[in-house]
Formats: sequence, C-alpha cells, structure tokens
Amino acid sequence: MAPQSKFGQFLTGYGRLTIYLIPIGVAINFVGGQIALLLKLPVYLDSIGTILVGALCGGLPGAVVGFLSNVINSITSPTTFAYAILNVGFGILAGYFSRIGVFRSWWKTLLSSVAFAFIGGFIGALITIWVFGGLVGGGTGLIIGALMATGMDVNTANFVAQVPMDVLDKVPTVLAVYAIIKGIPRRLMAKLPLGWVYLGQERPGAKAQPATAVQP
Amino acid sequence: MTVTSLQEVADGYRQPRSLGNPILDLNPITTLCVIVALIVTGIALGGWVPSLAVCLLFMVAAVVAGRGRTYLPLILKLWLGVGLILFLLRALLTPGHVLIPLGRIAVTTEGIEQGLAFACVVMAICGGVTLFFEFVPMRHLTLALERLGVSPQASYVLLASFQAITDLGATAKVVLEAQTARGVETEGNVFMRVRAFFPVLAPVFLSAMAATEERAIALDARAFNSSTRHTSLVELRRTRRWEPVLAVALGVIAVGVIVGRALGWF
Amino acid sequence: MVLAELQDVHFTYAYADTPALKGVTLTLEQGMLHGIVGLNSSGKTTLCGLLRGIVPSFHHGELTGRTTILGRELADWNPDELATTIGCVFDNPFTQISGIRDTVFEEIAFGLENLGVAREDIITRVIQVIEQLGIEALAEKNPNELSGGQRQKVAFASIIAMDSDVIVIDEPTSQLDPEASEAVFEIIAGLKKLGKSIVLVEHKIDLVAEYADTVTVLHEGRVALTGTTREVLTDPRLRSFGVTPPQVTELAERLAASGRPLSRVPVTRAEAVELIGERMREEVGGGYRTA
Repeated sequence: MAPQSKFGQFLTGYGRLTIYLIPIGVAINFVGGQIALLLKLPVYLDSIGTILVGALCGGLPGAVVGFLSNVINSITSPTTFAYAILNVGFGILAGYFSRIGVFRSWWKTLLSSVAFAFIGGFIGALITIWVFGGLVGGGTGLIIGALMATGMDVNTANFVAQVPMDVLDKVPTVLAVYAIIKGIPRRLMAKLPLGWVYLGQERPGAKAQPATAVQP
Repeated sequence: MTVTSLQEVADGYRQPRSLGNPILDLNPITTLCVIVALIVTGIALGGWVPSLAVCLLFMVAAVVAGRGRTYLPLILKLWLGVGLILFLLRALLTPGHVLIPLGRIAVTTEGIEQGLAFACVVMAICGGVTLFFEFVPMRHLTLALERLGVSPQASYVLLASFQAITDLGATAKVVLEAQTARGVETEGNVFMRVRAFFPVLAPVFLSAMAATEERAIALDARAFNSSTRHTSLVELRRTRRWEPVLAVALGVIAVGVIVGRALGWF
Repeated sequence: MVLAELQDVHFTYAYADTPALKGVTLTLEQGMLHGIVGLNSSGKTTLCGLLRGIVPSFHHGELTGRTTILGRELADWNPDELATTIGCVFDNPFTQISGIRDTVFEEIAFGLENLGVAREDIITRVIQVIEQLGIEALAEKNPNELSGGQRQKVAFASIIAMDSDVIVIDEPTSQLDPEASEAVFEIIAGLKKLGKSIVLVEHKIDLVAEYADTVTVLHEGRVALTGTTREVLTDPRLRSFGVTPPQVTELAERLAASGRPLSRVPVTRAEAVELIGERMREEVGGGYRTA
C-alpha cells in the first residue's frame, strides 16, 4: 500500500468533511457573487464561502477555498488572480478568529468585518497600485477614475474608494457567515474541525472524544 | 443503445484521450510550461513589442488548435475591458511631453509608451492564463497532476468545485426565481433586497453543507479514501519524448533572457 | 458465517438527548434479504450505520454492547475496510454521485479506480454491471444531469461494481416515483438471486413482503419483532408498532374477521392469488352442492 500523498494527508488530517466542504465553500463564493450582481447590490459578497470554511474547518482549508475561487475566476477574468492573496488572507484570518470565539457572538462578528475590510480594502488597494498602477477597470475603477479627475492622486484615490467599499461588503458577508454558522445542526458541527468552538467544548486533545469512537 | 454501442463506449476508454489536435493533445504540464516560458520571455525582453508578439502568438495558437472561435472573442473582451483601460490610464496620467492636452490631464508621449508596454505585459499574462484553460480540460489537468503524484483528494477538490458551482448556482437561481414570482422585491432599496434574499439563500447554502455528510459516506463506500494507489479509467496520451525537451528549452531561453537583461547584455 | 450479531447494543449519538438504539439483540444470517421496518426514528438508519461501522467511526457517540460483523468485532475493523466490505445505497440520489466524473461509465468505474483495479478489468466489470442493470442507454450520459431515478440506478451500479457480498440499502425508493421504485426493486431482486446478503430498510411493506426472507421491526430503538417474513408480517402485534401489514394480509384478516378465514394468511401477492383462487373454486363447487 502506497502512503497517501502530502496533500491527501493534509486534507484528511483536517477531518473527513473538510475535503467535501472546500468545493461547497468555493461554490458559495461564486453564488454569493452572482447574486450580488443579479440584485445589483453595490457589494461583492464573494468571500462568504472562504470565511465560512475558514471558521468551520480552520485557516488553511479556508485559504484553499479562497485561492481556488480566485483561480477559477481568473479563467474568465485573469486579473482576479492578482487578488488571490486577499482571499487567502480572509481564510486564514477567519480560522484564527474562529478559534478565539469571534463568530460566537454577533457583535464580535460585526467587528471582525473591519479586519476583513482592512485586508480587502487596504491590501487590495496596494495590489491595484503595485500591480496595475492604480486602475483595473470595473465599478471601483470608475470611482477611482472619478476621484482622480477631481484632482486626487492615484494612490489616495485607491484607498479612498476601496476601503469604504470593502467595509460595505464585509459587513453583510460576516453577518451571512454568522447566520449560517448558527443554522448548522449540532451533529454536523461535531464533525467539523473547529466545531468544538461552537459546541462550547474544550479543544480536542484537552478532552478526548467518546472512548467508543473507533479509529484506525 | 444496443450492446455493440456499449462496446463502442468501452472501446473509447481503451484508447488514450485525444482532443483531435496535436496542440490540444500536448501533456497539460507541457502546455503550462510553454505558456509560462513564453510570457516570461516576452516580459523580460522589455518594451511593448515582445509582449504583444506573445499575445499574438497565443491567438495564432488558439486558431491553429481550432479554438479561435471561443478564444478570440474572450481575448478581445479582455483587451477592451482591461488592456485599453490600463493603456488609457497611463497615457493620460503620466507626465511628459504633451501630445493632446485635455484640461487638467493630457496624453503624453511617455504615457503612450508606458501605457502600451504595461497593457501588453498584462495582456500577455491574461492571454496565457485564458489560453491554458481554453486548451486544457480540468479533468486532463488533474490526470496529469495525479500522474506526477498529486493525490486524488486534490483532484476531487478541484473538480468538485466546478460541479458545486453549477449545482449550487442552479439551486440558487430556482430559489431566486421563486422569490421573484412570489412578488418579493428585486428592485428598490439595497437593504430591502438583501433582506429579501439572504434568508432564503442561507438555507440553500446550509443544505449544501449538510449534504457533505452523505457525500462522505457515499464516497467512503466507494473506497475513495483507500490508501491503495488509485488507477484511472481515462488515460491521457503518452507524453511524447520531445515535449519535456521543448518545455525545458523554452524555460532555458526565458531564464537566459532574464539573466541577460539583468547583466545588461542587451 | 453470520453476517451480523448484535448483543444488547445501545447507541446514543453525540449531542443527542435520547439513545437511538436501546438494547438491540439481533442476528442476521448471510445470503438472505433482511427487511428492516418501523416508524421514523425507530433506529433503522442507525442500525444500518452500525452494520457499516460509520456508527460510531463517522457518527460519533456512545456505543455499548457487542457488535460482530462477519465474525469480527466491530472495534477490530478498520473503518475504511468495513465501508467497502459492506456496500451501501441510501435514499438521496443526489449525494451518491461523485460529482467528479463526466459519464455514467466513468462514475461506475470510480470505486474500482480507487481500489487500484487495472483498466481492462475495470472496463470488463463496468460493462458487466451496466448489462446486469440494463442501463446501457445511460452509459455515456453525464451523471450530474440525470433524473433522481436514473441517479439511483447509477448509485446501485456503482456499488454493485465493487462486488461486495453484503449490501445495506436504506430506503432506496423514498425519493422516487412508483415506476423508478419498481425498477430499483428489480435490481434488488437481481442481487438477491446472485446470493448477496442484503439488509433493506423500506417503508413499502408490500415490497418487503415480496422480497425479504426475514423481517425485523424496530420500535423506539428496540427490536419489537424479528423472524421470518411470514411470522412477523402476520403477527397480531405488528400494527401496535406502527407498521401496517401488507394489503393481502389485511384482506385475509378481514375475511377471517367476517368468519371466513383463508386456509392460511398470505403475505405476498402470489400467495394471495393462489389462496383466493382456491377459495373461489371451493365457493363455486360449494355453490353447486347447495343448489
């Protein structure tokens, strides 16, 4: 019997369900984004899945969701790829926040949107400036252009346009994540790597699983 | 379907997969290496001409591979949506010799040069990325990666993501249409629209997550987590011997150009 | 060898308030079709999970008592091995498709690929299964675009391809229309003919009567009745456990209540046809005599 490859070990090490939740996270990112477009909402809503999987399965699976989402998006709009690092950051941060109990209370969740918006808005603006010299097009691009036409320099225009945009986006995003986590049945939660946070338990290892659980 | 045609289906699996064109039948890893090497070479040579040449080369490759009809419109859209904006921005906002004054801003000679160079560099990358996905079906990519020792679990994550996007997208669409049919506002105030739809979509997302439990059980029953080395029904064509040679040669050229530029040879 | 032997098995799911199984003692022989019936949440699905080891390796909880599967204690089985030794098909047609294969042919091959079977052997086996189930027309279709009934057939084909001797089938027709249900039962009948051991949870009692060798009635996590299909389905206590007897059995009961019992109580349609035919001939004969 050949040993499993590293990636396989990495995934199964995170518990059985993580492998199956990553694609769902990617799909939630996409569907959230499509709905935002369909309803002509002024927000992206395309990182719900990343933050959700990060919060439930841990930072690295969340980062995988974020990375994959951007890779798949870049098939049709390649410039998205430059921003993959943001989505990876959302996943890792969500995993960390989850461990310290942020998503267990609605107001902490709401506050977390500031941190996500910092990544999305501030670092996002930096990428736009460094990689694309300040403008890539799209809705935000038009706003930046308009700001620059009023005499603002390109860097300031980017921060001024992107940071508030991202706060506006991350507030509904984290609230959606909070609502979904609230709705997860206990039996499913018990099978998720970070489920212990939401079931009010000790970290596994601190307290063993029921002794009858058979493991190979 | 008659018995003979079941045999025909089966015979299809006895042959290596072919997309009916030598370019499309390259090993996905070769395709990847060639595209990356071309992009790197184009950019490293500097200026807008090499990058534009790489863009054009990609277009020619797409046409020769019989994928022009899908690739060219996509790349045109990218030129208009990304390339043009990047060009205009730099053309208008770079200080230098004014060609056409436009009030507070102006088109400058330096702006046009920089804009053209930058737009072509970005478009060479965009063109390469889209070309790769145009040429390589995701399934073939995972098969090639598995051959290199990447785990089937990784293939699952990639392939299932595409399927989940399709499935969840379809379900969400049905839910949205049902809500609209019931007279829930899709227009009007932003907060109304968000409040009208998210309570309906959250359960869709939740049930997709809950379904992972059954998926896990079903795939366990099919030995998905078995530590035996998995085999594959679908077989990629054997990588021809010159393919790695081509990939390495182009890689060496790319590195050579970078080193050459860095040392100021040209 | 005995398929499964349970002795005073109790199981409570983690985070559940009440136990799902409360002292189940049951022996299931190999080579038979065992019907499991009972109300919702009577412990049927938990029992299926236990037979496949996913209770408690996947669905954690507190398990006590002794469970022996194919002569080996449950705790001694590697969960992955048990999961493929005992195949399973369940109710939801949409979660049993891998979602990563482009044709039904490839979908059926998926389990064999995972077992490391050589390509030519995979092809032979898949053809065999497709012919066995008569789903030639689906071979080249995309499994992700099939109807529920078609997907359920593919789910069966995928499990049958792996050639386990034991298959646990949990309410395979609950989400299907009557026509598709019929097709699924033909598949199950075919498996029985091949000598497979089958554990079948099913609400449609007429079908259970038709195909099962033994029937076990679960009620509130306990074995209420167990025995041969005839014994159990004609047991007067059956209704008190929320299980309605087969139509033909009810018919015989009514006849008995009106003072004209059939010579024995039928549980299958074939039996009923035979017994009622007998009665008709008697009646007609008797009629002549009184005339």
